[in-house]
Amino acid sequence: MNTDYTKNPLTVTAAPHIKNPEKTGTLMFDVIIALIPATVWGVYVFGWRALGVVLASVISAVAFEAIFQFFMNVPVTVRDGSAAVTGLLLALCLPVSVPIWIPIIGSFFAIIIVKQLFGGIGKNVVNPAIAARVFLFLAWPTQMSFSSVVGVDGVASATPLTALNKGMLPADGLRNTVIGNIDGCIGEVSAILLALGGLYLLIRRVIKWHIPVAYIGTVALLAFIFPQGDMETWRFVAYQVFGGGLMIGAIFMATDYVTSPVTNWGRLIYGVGCGVITIVIRYFGQYPEGVSFAIMIMNLLVWYLDMFTRPSKFGGVEKKS
Amino acid sequence: MKLSFRGGVHPPQNKNTAGKAIEKMPLPKKVYIPLSQHIGGVCVPLVKKGDTVDKGQIIGNVEGGLGCPVHASVSGVVESIEVKTSASGVKTGQIVIANDFEERLSPDIAPIGKSVDELTLDDVIEITKKAGIVGLGGATFPTYAKLSSGAGKIEYLIVNCAECEPYITVNHRLLLEQPERVLGGLEILLKVLGLEKGYIAIEDNKKDAIDKLEELNESKRIADICVMKTKYPQGDERQIIYALTGKELTSGHLPFEVGCMIINAETMAAVYDAVTTGMPLIERFVTVDGDCIRDPKNLSVRLGTPINELIDYCGGLVKEPHKIIFGGPMMGVAQWKMYAPTVKGTSAVIVFSKQQRKRQTEQPSCIHCGRCVGHCPMHLMPNYLVAFAKEGQLDKCRQFDILGCVECGCCSYDCPADVPIVQTIRVAKGKIMEQIRAEKAAAAMKEAEKKEAENKDNTEKTENTEEKGEK
Repeated sequence: MNTDYTKNPLTVTAAPHIKNPEKTGTLMFDVIIALIPATVWGVYVFGWRALGVVLASVISAVAFEAIFQFFMNVPVTVRDGSAAVTGLLLALCLPVSVPIWIPIIGSFFAIIIVKQLFGGIGKNVVNPAIAARVFLFLAWPTQMSFSSVVGVDGVASATPLTALNKGMLPADGLRNTVIGNIDGCIGEVSAILLALGGLYLLIRRVIKWHIPVAYIGTVALLAFIFPQGDMETWRFVAYQVFGGGLMIGAIFMATDYVTSPVTNWGRLIYGVGCGVITIVIRYFGQYPEGVSFAIMIMNLLVWYLDMFTRPSKFGGVEKKS
Repeated sequence: MKLSFRGGVHPPQNKNTAGKAIEKMPLPKKVYIPLSQHIGGVCVPLVKKGDTVDKGQIIGNVEGGLGCPVHASVSGVVESIEVKTSASGVKTGQIVIANDFEERLSPDIAPIGKSVDELTLDDVIEITKKAGIVGLGGATFPTYAKLSSGAGKIEYLIVNCAECEPYITVNHRLLLEQPERVLGGLEILLKVLGLEKGYIAIEDNKKDAIDKLEELNESKRIADICVMKTKYPQGDERQIIYALTGKELTSGHLPFEVGCMIINAETMAAVYDAVTTGMPLIERFVTVDGDCIRDPKNLSVRLGTPINELIDYCGGLVKEPHKIIFGGPMMGVAQWKMYAPTVKGTSAVIVFSKQQRKRQTEQPSCIHCGRCVGHCPMHLMPNYLVAFAKEGQLDKCRQFDILGCVECGCCSYDCPADVPIVQTIRVAKGKIMEQIRAEKAAAAMKEAEKKEAENKDNTEKTENTEEKGEK
C-alpha cells in the first residue's frame, strides 16, 4: 500500500464525487428480471418452441449490436443489456408459430435500422422492438398471424381481441384471459404476470407510474364510455385491458426511457395519447390491435411533449415578499 | 408534514462522525495562510518576511471593495510569502508562519465592551468585517456584506443547520456541544436587525441536536426550530427559503430580496465569538472522513494547517488515496496535493480510495430516463442542457435557463448513464458568462460612441452659435 503523501498522484475531477451505483446496465437487467415471469409463462403455455423464438431473438439482437459496433469502430456496448431487452421484448410480441428467421430479421431491423443507424442507445426515435414488430407485421402478415397454435387447453384459436374486432364474444373466459391461458403473442398473454413485473419495476424505481396508469386508465375509461358488442360493460372493459398487447405495451414498451418524455406531465399526456390511439385503432381500424401503432406514433411526439411540459424554473414566477 | 422542496436526491448519508466529539488539534509547526480564501478581492499582505506576528493579527487585507482580512492563526515569525496554487485552483499568495508556540494574543483583540442591548448593526458589521468572518458552510460569502445589504429588509433570519452533504457532521456536533454560541450569535443578530425571533433550519436526521435546541430555546424563545426532511440539497439557501417560507428565490438574486438572511450555524458561532471576545476567525471545525481514513474525527483546526497533519492526527491512511475533497462529496473541491492548507471554507476533508467511483464507459450516452429532470431542485432540464451544450448551442442553453443551475450535482449523482452533467453545464455556463460580458462591453462601447457623437454635435452647434454671435 502506498500512503506516502509526496509520491501519490491524486485525481482531480469535478464534483459530485459520489455516485449512485445504478448504471444503465442495472436498469436493463431489472427490466429483464421483470419480464422473466411472463416469458416463463409463455414457454409453459406455448411449449419449447416459444423458448426457441426468445433465444433466437435475444441472441441475434445482441450479436447484431456487437457486430455493427465492432465494424463501425465504436465501443461495443452490448454489456449494458439494452440490446438483450430489445430482443426479448420483440420475441415476446411475436406469435409462437413464426418461422425462426422472423425474430432474426426483426432483431436486425430493430438493432441496426432503428437503433444503431440513428446513433445507438439513447438516440433512436422510436422503440426498436415496436418498430421491428410493426415491420414484420406489415412485411410478413401470414407468418405473423396466429395459426396452428396449441394452447394448454388445446382449444384456443383466436385472441380475445380478434374476436372482439369481429364483434364476437371471445371464446376464452375472463379468468383465463387474466391468467394468460389464451392465444396471443408469447409474452403478452398473462396480464397478471406482466403486472407483477410492472410492480417490480415500480418498486425498484426503474419506471414511474405515470405512463402505465395513464395508458391503461385511458383505454379502460374509453372502453367503459363506449362499450361495444353484446356483453356487460365491465366484461368488455376487462377484455380490452387484458386481452391484447396492452399490458406489455403500457408497462414495458411505452415506458422505454429513450422514447418517452422526461417530465411527469409529459408522461401523463403521452400515456393518454397512447390510450386514445389504441382505442381508435381497435374500434375503427382494420387491425384488431393498435398498441404498437399507438406507441410508435406517440414516440414521434416525445420531443414536443417534453418542450410543452417543460417545468417552469424555480422562482420562475416572480413573487413579491 | 415535514418541510421540504421538490426534487433532490438521497445519497447515503455516511455521517460516521456524528457521535465523535470535536477534538482540538495540536498546534501545527507551520501554518500556510492563503491570501484569497473567500468571495471578494484578494488580500494584500501587510507583513513581510521575518516579521513577528501575534495570534489573531491581521496579516492581509483587501484594498476596498468586497472582501475580508486574513489573520495569523498562530503567533510566530513570517517565514516566507510564496505564490501557490490554492485549493480552488487559482494562483494566490500564501503567507507561511513558523509557530513559536507562545500563543501570544494580538493586542488588537478585545471585546467591544458593549452589552448586547447597546450594540448597533454598524458595530456588528464592523466587528464581523474585522474578524474576517465569512460563510463557513462552504460558500465563503463575507458575512458583513450580507448584514449591510440586508439591513432593514430582513423578515426571516435563518440559521442554516441543515448540513445536507454526506459525511459532514461539524454543525451537528457544534449544536450538541456548544449550542450557546450559536444561539448567542443569533440573539446578537436578532437584536441589531430589530427582529423578534429567528428560525433554525435543521434536517430531521439530527434528532439529538433538535432536542437540545428545543430544550435551550424553551426559556428564551428566540427562535422557531424548523425541522426539515433529510434530503440533499436541503441546505442550499434557495431550498431552505422555500421550505420555511414558501418563497421561490429566482437565480441571480440574493436572499435579502425576499426578506431572508441565512447564516450557517458555525458562522453564527464565529459572530458570537467576535462580538463577545473580539476573537477573529482563526479556527474552524473540520470533519475528516472517507474510506481511507483510519479513525474519522471531528477536529477543531487552526486555519492554515496542512491537511496531511489532519489526516495524520486521524490515524493516517488505511488505503491508497485517490481523491481528497475539501467540503462534502456532492459539491466539494478535489485537491491535487496533500499539503493544501485548511482554509475558511473547509468544512470537511474527505479522502476516498479508488473503489469509490468508477466510470462505466468513456463515451457515456444519455438514455433519456429523466431522472435529472425529476431531481433538479431548480426545475431545469439537465439532459437537454447537456445535449445543447455538447452541440455548442449556447443560445438554446440560455433559453433553457442554464444560468439558473446551482451545480448541486443531483443530476450527475443519479445519472445511470454516467454523463458528466454538472461538468458539461459548468463549462457551458463559463462560455455564456463570457458571451454576456462581451455583449455588455459591446453595448457599453456603442453607448460611448453615441455619447461621443452627441457631444461632437453639441460642440459643433455651440461653435456655430458662437460664430453666429460673432457675426
